Amino acid sequence: MKAPAFDYVKPRTLSAVFELLASHGDEARLLAGGQTLLATLNMRLSEPALLIDINAIEALKGISVHGLVLRIGALTTHSEIEASALVAEHAPLLALAVPHIAHRAIRNLGTWGGSIAYADPAAEWPCCLAALDGVVLLRSASGERRVAARDFFLDLYTTALAEGELVVACELPLAPPDSVFRFDELARRHGDYAIVGLALAARRVPGGLADLRLSFLGLGTTPIRARRTEALFEHAPFSALRLGALMDALLDELQPLADLTNTAATKRHLAGVLTRRLLASALAA
Amino acid sequence: MDDKKTIQITVNGQSRRCEVAPRQHLVDFLREDLSLTGAHLGCEHGVCGACSVRLDGQVVRGCLMLAVQADGRTVETIEGLTERGNVRDLQQAFVARNALQCGYCTSGMLMAAAELLDSRPHASREEVRVWISGNYCRCTGYQAIVDAICDVLAERKLARQGASA
Amino acid sequence: MELNGDILIGAARERVWLALNDAQVLLASIPGCEEVKQLSPTETHVRVLIKLGPVRARFVGKILMSEVRANEGCVLNFEGSGGAAGFAKGRSTVSLSSEGEGTRLRYTAEAAVGGKLGQIGGRMIDASAKQTADQFFQAFSAQLEAPVPAPMPEPAPAAALTAAPATVASRPVAPQPAPVAESVRVLWFGLGCAATAFGFWLAHALGH
Repeated sequence: MKAPAFDYVKPRTLSAVFELLASHGDEARLLAGGQTLLATLNMRLSEPALLIDINAIEALKGISVHGLVLRIGALTTHSEIEASALVAEHAPLLALAVPHIAHRAIRNLGTWGGSIAYADPAAEWPCCLAALDGVVLLRSASGERRVAARDFFLDLYTTALAEGELVVACELPLAPPDSVFRFDELARRHGDYAIVGLALAARRVPGGLADLRLSFLGLGTTPIRARRTEALFEHAPFSALRLGALMDALLDELQPLADLTNTAATKRHLAGVLTRRLLASALAA
Repeated sequence: MDDKKTIQITVNGQSRRCEVAPRQHLVDFLREDLSLTGAHLGCEHGVCGACSVRLDGQVVRGCLMLAVQADGRTVETIEGLTERGNVRDLQQAFVARNALQCGYCTSGMLMAAAELLDSRPHASREEVRVWISGNYCRCTGYQAIVDAICDVLAERKLARQGASA
Repeated sequence: MELNGDILIGAARERVWLALNDAQVLLASIPGCEEVKQLSPTETHVRVLIKLGPVRARFVGKILMSEVRANEGCVLNFEGSGGAAGFAKGRSTVSLSSEGEGTRLRYTAEAAVGGKLGQIGGRMIDASAKQTADQFFQAFSAQLEAPVPAPMPEPAPAAALTAAPATVASRPVAPQPAPVAESVRVLWFGLGCAATAFGFWLAHALGH
């Protein structure tokens, strides 16, 4: 279908954006990559009066290292993340996840900030951000604030973003040299929204894996960290011998939401399958 | 509301100044205003790939981009790629392998395949299949399309080896 | 799609029933509800703006009420249209029982969707329906647990139902308290139908 009529503006500064948001409220939508917004408009599921194209705002662009963090600007496209040497070095988890995001044409326009602001339960970036305990940088007319990933994703398509606020960038801790990452999704076809996905992060230590992080997508309304399971390995590393204990704890901790295609039991089972695969792979390398 | 905007856009090498309504998609602009009907409309929400065109050298969904967003940018359609001879080997392989029947998906397939050839010159058959899974075909069953792309991957690899020999 | 649940509300059963009958309470409780209009003693129209993720869609529907048991519960049949996006219809029941000082409110809702709505896999249907229900009950309970401003009027006798003039409740004007029929229908419309519908729209909107 064709999109409804709307007005269009492309401001050059954030303060201009905030003014526009203040005067138009919910009748204005921010246009970044547009890969979700324009699909929504084409289906007439939203009829905003104004699109505010933020692609000219330099403050939202770029990938850089600042001290101990990698900062990725909101307008960075998925393809740019895929091609980035800085990401490959400092946040290789993202490089593992990016080929799972839809298809190339979508990745060439869709943005890091857009994915995080929408917070789709099956999206890869919120899941990775949760796995790495990243921080979301938000800005509004009143200034900037920082929200940890665990406090940002609140409910279905609901984040800590307030009215008149937008995602400027996210910061990720630089990956230590002994870190190991794995990512995988299960979907019926490549590019579909995943039934379940897992971002795994850990540090390789004598005896196995320490600082284990298990972040799931597609199981609930937000990315889900299996914190109780992770806590089992706080004082002693995970090794193959402890797989049984981990799986017992995990399948007990996870309470997936069903959807029309998959029951909660199926999702839980598939989460277990992914966990086994990725742990085996992480230990083997 | 929705007053037309003026854009400066380079399409298939030709710079143009056009007026577009904000709501108009890039692919509708190309098809209706510029009569470049090589890109097709399928789903109009980004999943079928029939509308794929090239923006600043990268394949994008023409239905998930507004014409007004292409202001100051470079667009190439299948017509442009064909004129430049950029994908001649790919097009010939499609014909040789019977990789098109009705032709509706073909321009999108060529766009996607061209980007694969440029960015993943060592792609395996499996990688080709994953890459083009964003382009739907109702006629061929895909195998012939994958065959054609793999043929070109192999040919170009040989040509590179021949050139450096 | 099927949804059921229950909630313990910190108010007596009669007060909960009256609140369910109060169009103003419902208007304030149903997420995105913009207008409530009683067309006849058995039929109420409602307009809801659904806001979830990228979706902003107006949904118009009607509810027919039956099997009313004052202070205890009723059955609602609803159907609604999201315009080009499709339609939904369904059925809900609600029952109240006293539990200690409060009231246990149990609800069920089942719905079917058609048109474009129906074609879309309901990827998030259960989650979105649950979120709507949660939001509704949070707002509903909050109003009940606020101090009562004046003695509540007695429930209208049966005769008054047929004689009731068409009432229109819409923001921000405070409407008169509505007859028993209207409110519960609106409640179940809002919970069952809208939740189902926008969950599907949302899934479709993001389906790539």
